[in-house]
Amino acid sequence: MLSEIAFYGALETGLIYGLVAFGIYISFRVLDFPDLTVDGSFPLGAAVAAMLIIHGWNPWIATGAAVLAGMAAGAVTALLNVKLKILNLLASILTMIALYSVNLRVMGRPNVALLTEETVLTPWYDLGLAFHQVPVLLFALVVLVALLLLWRFMKSEVGLAMRATGANPRMARAQGIATGAMIVLGVALSNGLVGLAGALFAQSQGAADVTMGVGVIVIGLASLIGGEALVTPSSVIRALIACVVGAIIYRLAIAFALNADVLGLQAQDLNLITAVLVTLAIVLPGVRNSVVGKLTRKKA
Amino acid sequence: MISATDLRLTFGKGTPLENPALRGMSLTVNQGEFVTVIGSNGAGKSTFLNALAGEVMVDSGQIIVDNQDVTRLPTHKRAARVARVFQDPLAGTCENLTIEENLALAIKRGQRRGLSGAVKKQYLERFRDSLSSLKLGLENRLGDKMGLLSGGQRQAVSLLMASLTPSSILLLDEHTAALDPKTAAFVLELTQKIIEEQKLTALMVTHSMKQALEVGSRTVMLHQGQVVFDIAGKEREGLEVKDLLGLFEQQRGLKVDDDSLLLG
Repeated sequence: MLSEIAFYGALETGLIYGLVAFGIYISFRVLDFPDLTVDGSFPLGAAVAAMLIIHGWNPWIATGAAVLAGMAAGAVTALLNVKLKILNLLASILTMIALYSVNLRVMGRPNVALLTEETVLTPWYDLGLAFHQVPVLLFALVVLVALLLLWRFMKSEVGLAMRATGANPRMARAQGIATGAMIVLGVALSNGLVGLAGALFAQSQGAADVTMGVGVIVIGLASLIGGEALVTPSSVIRALIACVVGAIIYRLAIAFALNADVLGLQAQDLNLITAVLVTLAIVLPGVRNSVVGKLTRKKA
Repeated sequence: MISATDLRLTFGKGTPLENPALRGMSLTVNQGEFVTVIGSNGAGKSTFLNALAGEVMVDSGQIIVDNQDVTRLPTHKRAARVARVFQDPLAGTCENLTIEENLALAIKRGQRRGLSGAVKKQYLERFRDSLSSLKLGLENRLGDKMGLLSGGQRQAVSLLMASLTPSSILLLDEHTAALDPKTAAFVLELTQKIIEEQKLTALMVTHSMKQALEVGSRTVMLHQGQVVFDIAGKEREGLEVKDLLGLFEQQRGLKVDDDSLLLG
């Protein structure tokens, strides 16, 4: 069985990946823009926050700077696509590759330790909660605030224009929506959230590392698709809740798989498990629909 | 008022597929006019409409809407003045958004959009009123996804969306062509009603000569990227399809071989 610490650990990482899933929801679902920049903007957020923190900046300001850095990275990808007409997927790969160098430059070395620094988590340890519960509480609050703001935004005039841009760009233009500007704003917002996730991840893990972004896109997508399979995303709020549910369930599933001795899985099997889970998440809704279809047909 | 002068546009210039779509197209539509545009396949009807809307940029020529030169402006910057209904009923609306969200997008056509809620309470009554004029029962389905509606219903809503805010010109691109005959008749009737009631200036492309003569106040025929004739008023009254064909042959000294024009 899962130990209490492992359980809270999975919740903590799940909440952080919930933010990543929000970002991927905006790019993949709202804008229909397959964006791989996140593999670079996640460590970028971590690097920026870590460097500012070790230079004595307030950890919240450092985290805010990480969000801005992520937004800038997203804007670069979107501009490559909108202005230079580079295919969206390729544009994001270019930015992602470039960010590997940028992240090394930002940190000046492959990793930066934060173990002894004051982070956004530090003041919360005085609340009297157990050590492993503190990050879960704080990150749950951050995710809740992000969810409410995003929900509000998607219902606003600009948010609706962004949703129209992804769903039907020709119609959006005919309604006077600058679709190019919407793509830039949306992809920037998406990567800003991923930058935030990276910054929080570095602070909870006690280090920023240049390789920590590898596979973030796959985990984010796994969370998004898994969440959508569990919570039918028929409205914006349900889609956002699906992101968080998917991310947490995904981390819990991974933790269970690694902890179940009968399966004999080890940490190095993580990526294999991820691939299997993503495949299941993609295939299962179809299976469920066909099963439900057969059942209802029998009834009729 | 909208005026196009000597529009020229060639697709695939310098390639074996070079296709001159507009070859000196000129047309002025006055305030309150309802012009029907006909022409065979490849006459340049859709390209002309796309050029007016800003979806394609002309190589040369000038487009003026309400005394402003919009020739080089992209679609979204013309949207305040130019409203549009597409041929494909799925193209004019967003199927993933609700009916009220689609209408909320249209009510802000060409205006600044902010961070306030898109579907405002004060809009809802107006949405319900407009929708009830369609007599499709949609006024009680504001929260339904657009994708649940039929093609005809969606086209009717598209038309409503195009007329929700004032425009200098309403472009209708064969907007009944993809519908079954009964629904097409309904949408056409609705079009005439809306244009008449709101005194809109409109340009309607159609594939049917009969429709072109029955609807509107003026008929323009395009051929090979130019206007071949332009009739209105007394001259147009009582004109029949065969008269149009005669006019065309007389103008061009050639026979119409496009059956769809005759059959339509």
